[in-house]
Amino acid sequence: MNTPLKFLIIFVALATGLLYSCDNSSQKLPILGEREFINGDSVYHTIPDFSFTDQNGLEITNKTYENKIYIADFFFTTCPTICPVMKTQLLRVYDKFKANPQVGILSHTIDPRHDSVAVLKEYAKRLGVEGDFWHFVTGKKDKIYELGQKFYYVTTGEDSTAAGGFIHSGAFILVDKKRRVRGMYDGTNEKEVDKLMKDMEILLAEQ
Amino acid sequence: MMKILKYLPLIVLFTSCQSDEKVKLEQYYIGGKVIYEQNCANCHQKDGKGLQNLYPPIAGSDFLRNKEQVILIIKNGMTGEMIVNGKTYNQPMPANSQLQNLDIAEVVTYIYNEWADEKKVTTTEEVANVLAKAKL
Repeated sequence: MNTPLKFLIIFVALATGLLYSCDNSSQKLPILGEREFINGDSVYHTIPDFSFTDQNGLEITNKTYENKIYIADFFFTTCPTICPVMKTQLLRVYDKFKANPQVGILSHTIDPRHDSVAVLKEYAKRLGVEGDFWHFVTGKKDKIYELGQKFYYVTTGEDSTAAGGFIHSGAFILVDKKRRVRGMYDGTNEKEVDKLMKDMEILLAEQ
Repeated sequence: MMKILKYLPLIVLFTSCQSDEKVKLEQYYIGGKVIYEQNCANCHQKDGKGLQNLYPPIAGSDFLRNKEQVILIIKNGMTGEMIVNGKTYNQPMPANSQLQNLDIAEVVTYIYNEWADEKKVTTTEEVANVLAKAKL
């Protein structure tokens, strides 16, 4: 065998090897948030216990999401600006994953005074959402705001100068089965929601 | 030959009048489209199809039959149940008090030319009349 041909064969072998090692299935999502080291172990930022009421009057807690990955967001039903866009995007996630028992969506209202269980029920119905997959929850305002700001890292608050009276981030937070934040996505951006749905598949494949 | 020359100025006048109208229509349409996308598309969507049973469609909506009502709703918002194309909706629509008569004329021109087969301008006078009448 002449030398150039030998080199060619080695080159092709190396290239193929390198390509296969860039295997997508070994891709992992980062774990976001502060990390502590306790007794030599990393303790990651996790969502604490919570308890809210959903559009059907049922109590929704962190236990509802045991063994599930979920998307969390914050909205209010009379919002004229970003919420409709966020809901349009979440409907894509709903359509794609609603049959999957390992997935859920948790939408928190930041206007619990107006968004009662009855209002949320009507809203969910009009949005075309049925079943157990997507919970729209209400509860104590300061608890919702605290959870949002400190644990889901989204800005939420009352602001009389904002359209609708509330200022809040349009982020979708992806949470894994261990209640850790694995991704944050702009819920008003279609491409970011495309990425969210891809990341959800990666997370579901994670052991 | 002389006859044509006699009428030429009139013909020129007519055709230039037409293009004036067309120019105005284009201006209102484009201005209206910008206003629509900034103020209305969030809920009613860019294609005017609305969102499920939450926000009614504008494209193909039977509600467009009443332009006066449309103008009033855009300016003042509305609450309560409404039926569009046979479906009920009950989500409050916020007012757009920041929109001036010209803005409303433009967005109404856009809506009706884009989704109701109109091919003309809705004027600021029309808008002003509707809003003034409502205040009585």
